[in-house]
Amino acid sequence: MNILTIENLSKSFGDNLVIDQMSFSVPKGSIFGFIGKNGSGKTTTMKMILGLLKPSRGTIEVCGERVKYGQTDTNRFIGYLPDVPEFYNYMTAYEYLKLCGEITGLSKKTIKDRSIELLGLVGLDHNNKRIGTFSRGMKQRLGIAQALLHEPKLLICDEPTSALDPIGRKEILDILATVRGKTTVIFSTHILSDVERICDHIGILHHGKIILSGTMQEIKKYYHQDSCLIEFSNSHDRDRFLQATTIENLESRETTDDVSVILKSQALKRMMQEIMSEMIRLDIVPVKLEILDPTLENLFLEVVK
Amino acid sequence: MDQYIEYLPVIIPLFIIQIILSITAVIHVIRHPNYRFGKKRVWIPVVLFIGFIGPFIYFIFGRGDD
Amino acid sequence: MRSYIVFTKKELIEYGRTYKFFILFTIFIALGFMNPLTAKFMPKILESFMPEEIEIQLPPPSSLDSWAQFFKNVTQTGLFVAIIIFSGMMSREYEKGTLVNMITKGLPRQTVILSKFTASTLLWTLSYWTCFVITHIYTMYFWKGETVLELATSTLFLYLFGIMLISVLLIGSTLFKNSYGGLLFTGGFIAILFLLKLSHKIDNYNPLQLANQNINLLSGNLHPSELKSPLFVCCTVIILSIISSILIFDKKQI
Repeated sequence: MNILTIENLSKSFGDNLVIDQMSFSVPKGSIFGFIGKNGSGKTTTMKMILGLLKPSRGTIEVCGERVKYGQTDTNRFIGYLPDVPEFYNYMTAYEYLKLCGEITGLSKKTIKDRSIELLGLVGLDHNNKRIGTFSRGMKQRLGIAQALLHEPKLLICDEPTSALDPIGRKEILDILATVRGKTTVIFSTHILSDVERICDHIGILHHGKIILSGTMQEIKKYYHQDSCLIEFSNSHDRDRFLQATTIENLESRETTDDVSVILKSQALKRMMQEIMSEMIRLDIVPVKLEILDPTLENLFLEVVK
Repeated sequence: MDQYIEYLPVIIPLFIIQIILSITAVIHVIRHPNYRFGKKRVWIPVVLFIGFIGPFIYFIFGRGDD
Repeated sequence: MRSYIVFTKKELIEYGRTYKFFILFTIFIALGFMNPLTAKFMPKILESFMPEEIEIQLPPPSSLDSWAQFFKNVTQTGLFVAIIIFSGMMSREYEKGTLVNMITKGLPRQTVILSKFTASTLLWTLSYWTCFVITHIYTMYFWKGETVLELATSTLFLYLFGIMLISVLLIGSTLFKNSYGGLLFTGGFIAILFLLKLSHKIDNYNPLQLANQNINLLSGNLHPSELKSPLFVCCTVIILSIISSILIFDKKQI
């Protein structure tokens, strides 16, 4: 069953088409990595799911109900963590959760129990300081707590880790991993290592379209291709090497900077043999010769080319 | 002096309000040393000596977010 | 209704913890004391400015002078302070993006506007009438036995004028992301009211009269019924302002 279904969604601001006929769905229980470069339309999409922006065309369904702009009944299923969550600085974390709970219409007892439980989960229990004194990471963790307060079916996190230091990032990812199974999570980011750590489904957004989506294993398997990185001591060596006929015949050659090149082939062993014999013939000693794993990063760079 | 005695019931409370306002402001200035503009050594005399206006300006414009 | 109470409570907590209520309230209390005091001292102050040779017999101050100070100070200082304090009611939330969470939690947009209006009007009510009570007590103390006409009506008029300015400020603050936008909007509105004074015909409907005819009411030069039209315009402006703020905020991307 799909928690979220988006069909033919488009959004333009004036002449600027930000989302172009986008369609994808998020299955229940998954942690969905919503990947895209800065400015690719991730936040715009999320705001449309929340009914904060009006789509130019297309439909969004959350838990089988259509999202309507303005009248956002579907938000009762959703918990939202904005990219830079802002709270009322003069409140304590507990008071803020109480306010959220009261607005959502939870009972007094539920608010109290859930708040205590969630503040414990995000490591903000026994903290009576006002939110104004919180660090970025603490605010982000409070953001998760308020988003999970009404036990949403879908948790939407907009770049939850981007502004944080490595420790803060790890804390957020650990918290997201603990809700796996209970809540479906959509998690937008451009940090691919975070996606690899916790996501089981991904969708790659590029130029307003989902250009690739599916489960992590499927995608990695499908795009499996062996590639090899060579770094030379100078660009002259590299150019000489690239002019060699056997190298020119390879499937894909991609120069990343002045002294490096990435070569690709379906037959890794033969390609490596050719590379090495070519180097001996040309009398070139590389600084680095490395077989690349099919990482998400490589995959991402490849599909957004 | 006698002629001012009849005004004491109004002057005393006015004086107390002024003191409360200044003291509250000065405590806040010292305990929250991040202001939207100005420095501590400017704000302290401002809230202490510029009547009602000093604390007003401090709390409404000068006070930083908690 | 539930969310209206919850969000109004949040507003009141905000005014309390950001010292805004404290400042507003103490300034109005101080004005309350200062009105009769200034009235009482005014002849003495004027005398000290007069050259000694000139003998001018100044009439002794009366309770009417005390109320004249009340209306002057509340319109010039009190309302000014109140407008500045309330000027960020919506724009501060826009600036910081704090409403996004509330709206996505299911807080109806119109509730935001209604709560903001309620909370600021409540603060104004409390400050204004406290100021009134203090001035009233001391005026009775200094000028025993003196009475003025239509005191309740006259002060109620200025009170309503204040509510009208708050409601106009609410539109301004809803329109603009910056709190100065709201201030300018309200300033522009007041400027228009002053311009309308130039035309005698329109001035009969000018709500500004509710804030500058008060002394004429107290002295009996004007009967309250003559201010019916400005009163009607004032109440209409309040209602229309609230409605348009709701409509504007409905369309606003936050």
